[in-house]
Amino acid sequence: MAFLEISSVSKSFGAVKVLDDITLEIERGEFVVFVGPSGCGKSTLLRMITGLDSPNSGTVSIEGKVMNDIEPAKRGTAMVFQSYALYPHMSAYDNVSFGLRMAHTAKTLIRQRVDAAAAILRLDKLLHRRPRELSGGQKQRVAIGRAIVREPRVFLFDEPLSNLDAELRVQMRAELIELHRRLDVTMIYVTHDQIEAMTMADRMVVLNAGRMQQVGRPLDLYDDPDNRFVAGFVGSPRMNFLAGEVVGADATSTRLLHAGGTGPLTLPIGGLQGQLKVEIGVRPDHLRILADGEDPPPAAIAFTGRVTFVEELGNVTYVHIVLDDGTPIVVGAGRGPRIGTDDVRITAPVGHALLFAQDGCRLRGRNGTGK
Amino acid sequence: MTAKRASATSPTIWTVLKWTVAILAAVIAVFPVWWMINVVFSEPGQPVSINPRLWPTSLTAGLQTVHVIFAETAYLHAYMVSVCYSVLTIAGVLLFGSAAAFEFALFDFPGRRIIFGIVMLALMVPTAVTIIPTYLLTADLGWLNSMQGLVVPGLASAFGLFMLVQFMRAIPADMIEAARLDGASHLQIYWHVVLPLCRNAMVTLAILTFMQTWGNYMWPLLVGTSPDMYTVGQIVGMFNSPLSHQTVEVVMTANLLAAVPPLIFYLLFQRKIVEGIAMSGTKG
Repeated sequence: MAFLEISSVSKSFGAVKVLDDITLEIERGEFVVFVGPSGCGKSTLLRMITGLDSPNSGTVSIEGKVMNDIEPAKRGTAMVFQSYALYPHMSAYDNVSFGLRMAHTAKTLIRQRVDAAAAILRLDKLLHRRPRELSGGQKQRVAIGRAIVREPRVFLFDEPLSNLDAELRVQMRAELIELHRRLDVTMIYVTHDQIEAMTMADRMVVLNAGRMQQVGRPLDLYDDPDNRFVAGFVGSPRMNFLAGEVVGADATSTRLLHAGGTGPLTLPIGGLQGQLKVEIGVRPDHLRILADGEDPPPAAIAFTGRVTFVEELGNVTYVHIVLDDGTPIVVGAGRGPRIGTDDVRITAPVGHALLFAQDGCRLRGRNGTGK
Repeated sequence: MTAKRASATSPTIWTVLKWTVAILAAVIAVFPVWWMINVVFSEPGQPVSINPRLWPTSLTAGLQTVHVIFAETAYLHAYMVSVCYSVLTIAGVLLFGSAAAFEFALFDFPGRRIIFGIVMLALMVPTAVTIIPTYLLTADLGWLNSMQGLVVPGLASAFGLFMLVQFMRAIPADMIEAARLDGASHLQIYWHVVLPLCRNAMVTLAILTFMQTWGNYMWPLLVGTSPDMYTVGQIVGMFNSPLSHQTVEVVMTANLLAAVPPLIFYLLFQRKIVEGIAMSGTKG
């Protein structure tokens, strides 16, 4: 039995279905990130675990015990809010110790626990300050301290870094990973930022419109998405999608027409009889702009387009191109010679192309080809 | 920058006009109080009405009159009654107002909107309409000429509730939820989180309630008919009555003594009063 189990949880607010039949198992000590666009239900799912909202159906259990009817404070969870939710009229010390004081913990024990948490979070010298005298990052650490002293079984973070500036966010990200390593407890983290999710998660849970799209290690989701949504959401810049038409399929390959407005193309994905219209997904890093006079490698995807603009970021250059059929794509390029706004030819190895059905499902092929 | 300096050195017509109006308003507001002081602290036998002047002439004569009033009339007792009446009313209004506002502003319960609407309707009903039923009820309870008869009907303030609800609605939901996760009970959230956050609004409400209770004339007149229950307002009324045999400086001293507590309160808390009224007027 898993440490934390969410089974068939659904939640509606009025007529709006926010969570639809979510089932998920989380192991002790895991760092799990819920990620998805705004309004996908990830924060609601977090609130179900901590007890601030209750599901319409389904159960949440921790260590085998169903939590649905248990008070939020007694679930052994602690939450860090996006807004920090510090009490403005209390010092950092009083903020951190509030939960312990409410539980009538002995004063000496409170002192010990707060000092221990302050040492971990480097808050020692700030404990007498009020929240308004703290910077954003310090407030965030006080909020985390408030969670630590309760010694919870599960830490919950609701977009804790989104109010910080970019530099501080990277720093706090590293601190949170370090904190997880040190405390070795289960952490569940909600974010809409897929880069945050990729860098921090042991496992990522991608949600969209209240449904779980895919669960897995970040790189597995990147390399092997289950559907078009995950393929588009994970990775930055996002995957390019090209419309295509199946003209023939056998046990080992699929022949397509009109992909990106170019000629026929054969992908090594077999057993796709019955599909007509599909989408081909290729990541920007797998695409390459061909030099003048260079021929595309045999059995590779190739198409032509016009460069619209170029983002030169130093370590990488993203070239935005509109293909002959009007599809916009992005190509990741090295720091080569300057690219103008001319027509270019682009290529990618067929092995990196993914196929998606019209309903967004990934087409892997019956014989396990296509990945 | 240059424009600012220019306006600082050579005032525009607009600035002059603004200051003139402000000073005029201040003079009009302050003059009656000053006139009272002027009359009270004057040499006995030199009535200001016959020989008008704008400054007091004798401190000792004034203090003597104050002493006479405290020593020879029931004024001091009335002061005590008024202080008790005000303090108990303030305590009650703050307690009931904040507790009710806490529920209305931060929690959802069946019928919340309707009940709140009914309470707000009470804001629109003038006192004159409710005073007779309230009097009858108080009389039925046998509370005439008692402190509870004076205080209890004024404990629930629709205005106070409205003001505190507006203020509490601005408290982020996250903060209440964080307290819940920290294991605070409903009452602990109220006491440790919400009340301290509403301190400013509570102080404002306390001051406004004080002003209103101290100056309340009609209700004490109806309920406290025995001399034991006279408030300052009633005593002053008796000094002022046509059949009173007091000289003008004694009457004026009685009036001045009644005006002192609200004046001190106002001077001490004027910033909070303005803030509080602005806040309850603009939010929501």
